[in-house]
Amino acid sequence: MSKIPERKEQFETSSKIPIERLYLPEQQTEHYIEKLGFPGEYPYTRGIQPTMYRGRFWTMRQYAGFSSAEESNRRYKYLLQQGQTGLSVAFDLPTQIGYDSDDPHAKGEVGKVGVAIDSLKDMEILFQDIPLDKVSTSMTINAPAAILLAMYIAVAEKQGVSSKALSGTIQNDILKEYIARGTYIFPPKPSMRLITDIFQYCSTELPKWNTISISGYHIREAGSTAVQEVAFTLANAIAYVESAIQAGLHVDDFAPRLAFFFNAHNQFFEEIAKFRAARRIWAKIMKERFHAQNPKSMQLRFHTQTAGSTLTAQQPDNNIVRVALQALSAVLGGTQSLHTNSRDEALALPTEASARIALRTQQIIANETGVTDTVDPLGGSYYVEALTDSIEKEVWSYLQKIDEFGGAVAAIEQGYIQREIHKAAYDYQRDIESGKQIIVGLNAYQIENDEKPEIYRVDPIVGEIQAQKLKELRKTRDNDAVNQRLSELSQAAKTNENLMPYILNAVKAYATLGEITNVLREVFGEYRLN
Amino acid sequence: MNKTIRVLIAKPGLDGHDRGALVIAQGLRDEGMEVIYSGLRQTPEQIVATAIQEDVDCIGLSILSGAHNELLPEVMRLLKENQAEEILVIGGGVIPDDDIPFLKEHGIAEIFTPGASMKEIADFIRDNIEKKNSKQTRSTSVKKIDHIGIAVKSLDEAVPFYKEILGLTFLGMEEVLDEGVKVAFFEAGGVRIELLEPLHQESPIYKHIEKRGEGIHHLAFEVEDIVDQFSKLQERQISLLQNQPRRGAHDTKVGFIHPKSSHKVLIELCEKN
Repeated sequence: MSKIPERKEQFETSSKIPIERLYLPEQQTEHYIEKLGFPGEYPYTRGIQPTMYRGRFWTMRQYAGFSSAEESNRRYKYLLQQGQTGLSVAFDLPTQIGYDSDDPHAKGEVGKVGVAIDSLKDMEILFQDIPLDKVSTSMTINAPAAILLAMYIAVAEKQGVSSKALSGTIQNDILKEYIARGTYIFPPKPSMRLITDIFQYCSTELPKWNTISISGYHIREAGSTAVQEVAFTLANAIAYVESAIQAGLHVDDFAPRLAFFFNAHNQFFEEIAKFRAARRIWAKIMKERFHAQNPKSMQLRFHTQTAGSTLTAQQPDNNIVRVALQALSAVLGGTQSLHTNSRDEALALPTEASARIALRTQQIIANETGVTDTVDPLGGSYYVEALTDSIEKEVWSYLQKIDEFGGAVAAIEQGYIQREIHKAAYDYQRDIESGKQIIVGLNAYQIENDEKPEIYRVDPIVGEIQAQKLKELRKTRDNDAVNQRLSELSQAAKTNENLMPYILNAVKAYATLGEITNVLREVFGEYRLN
Repeated sequence: MNKTIRVLIAKPGLDGHDRGALVIAQGLRDEGMEVIYSGLRQTPEQIVATAIQEDVDCIGLSILSGAHNELLPEVMRLLKENQAEEILVIGGGVIPDDDIPFLKEHGIAEIFTPGASMKEIADFIRDNIEKKNSKQTRSTSVKKIDHIGIAVKSLDEAVPFYKEILGLTFLGMEEVLDEGVKVAFFEAGGVRIELLEPLHQESPIYKHIEKRGEGIHHLAFEVEDIVDQFSKLQERQISLLQNQPRRGAHDTKVGFIHPKSSHKVLIELCEKN
């Protein structure tokens, strides 16, 4: 020891969990059934299905969307042709905040970080010649999720596909918007009502649809630790479940359609342990706190995305390696669906070529490494089990603290969750700047004349084209019908009625996203963070 | 004279990712700066209004949405429109290298992309604010009193007093037709005395004498770059008698500050050729 001292005085994970030099079997072998059980069985630590990837690989779902509906439609067809098995739609910021493309707030933003959708017309183009009964679609949409879901249902109807056959996910997680992502519109209370309206509507009309994807991803991107990611995500999930139960739903009617979305960050074993711990904690919450009966209500199903914030603009090819390792941790952690980031994302939207390498990374893990041939291959690793236990313990302690605040909504309103994340983000940045945390190519192993790859650019004309389309739409549609549908929606918003059917009617009459949102803005008000 | 640097960290546009903005805000605070954070979804108008209201030295614009080429130049345009272009503006976020020259052309001092350190950004702000301040001190400081102007009814009557009784060196006489005056200059230990006699009733000196009688009319300070000086004064909303400097006696460029901005003394600035 004195001859070869250790590299650091103390080793710890990103969540500051101490890492021992060696892990031994004695702590791990007791309580096997209680703590790990078998895959497909409570508490689901080892996976939610008995066979996992021996049965079927995860859904390879690359997040894509940019510019116009026509452009995005072309990219989707390309990705499906390359072997992608599900679509994942990125909407531009005006769409995510409920502004039409010709709204002054939308200036400069149309089509930039996703596709611009103003009305059912755009949605029809987006999914043209893509059979909605054959493909599952995930939509990253939150504040106006009800409207975009309604558009999706309407497009399916036009294709002759019943809403009962539709499969996919809307993100629909507003609480993490207040915490980490910022694309909120309404205050928390009416936002929660829209979410429970969707739960209720889908439980009968879209039984195969995942009605929410409760997202730790953005919480982690905002700088949280792995422990905080799980803790705050599950705290939000508890708030949704409570809100739905208060609205009169039975837990087993909607809980099987709750989905989760996590980040896969750099610290390999901590990430794997994080996924395993999250599954075990959720199973306990659903069984013990909410008395769910249906096993499906207790299974935490999740989509994973590799960590965009870990990618560097410096030596961007290194990002391919980061993404591969992060993706591997998600697979070893038992994810149901995966998005791998592209190497150029610290620079701009991905090019087609870099999106393909990202998808190939998943295909290589699935088909060539053999890690998919057995279930939970790291189960029983002394280290992974110890980390899983530590993460679980710390998550429970956060959940208790949030309960003391009165739940996630109260903790968010008081800024507690945001402060915790911000503190972690700042510590991480300081660790990078002090060199305590090495980032290859950034604060170590730099090279001069670092070559930047070619990047994708959105044609700035898309804003004008969208505005032109809107002008045309407002001229040709039946405006009396639109006004009628909007005023019906406004009336319903003032009562406790489920808003989904009203939104669907307005969408079918080609009311625009901005018009529908404005009706709701008038009734619900807008959220402003101090 | 080490005033605390005030910085506004602002998020223009619609993107809600403010981890970078918050980390930089905290980092600059730790570097001893006063930092105001705008919050999300600020329009260029809101950002410029806040910057002026809070009297900041620097604005840091954080943007990840790809709308930088539209929104950042708009901030610069509005700063100029509000005569606040002396505020240092920096940008940060996911901004392609190719766009940086375009943004710099519009007056953004520097763009910090992912990987930039808090220290690097703080040092940049400090260096540039110091540079700006020292430039400002140089240009606002006058070199010396160039001359004192005294309005007189008649040079024939006044000149003998200064020349013979006080014994000042007589430098000569000159007519300045633009001002409608005839002037006589004396030298008094590096400072000159300028006697001004009105040539006609339209002359400002005639009006001055009508109103206040004979006496000290103005103080003239010599400055280095009068055009630059003038724009600086305008930015600070100092009242000037004319928008542009003009030609004065002895082939100088001159301009006047209104007495209402200078505690009731008419001040002339002059730049020697």
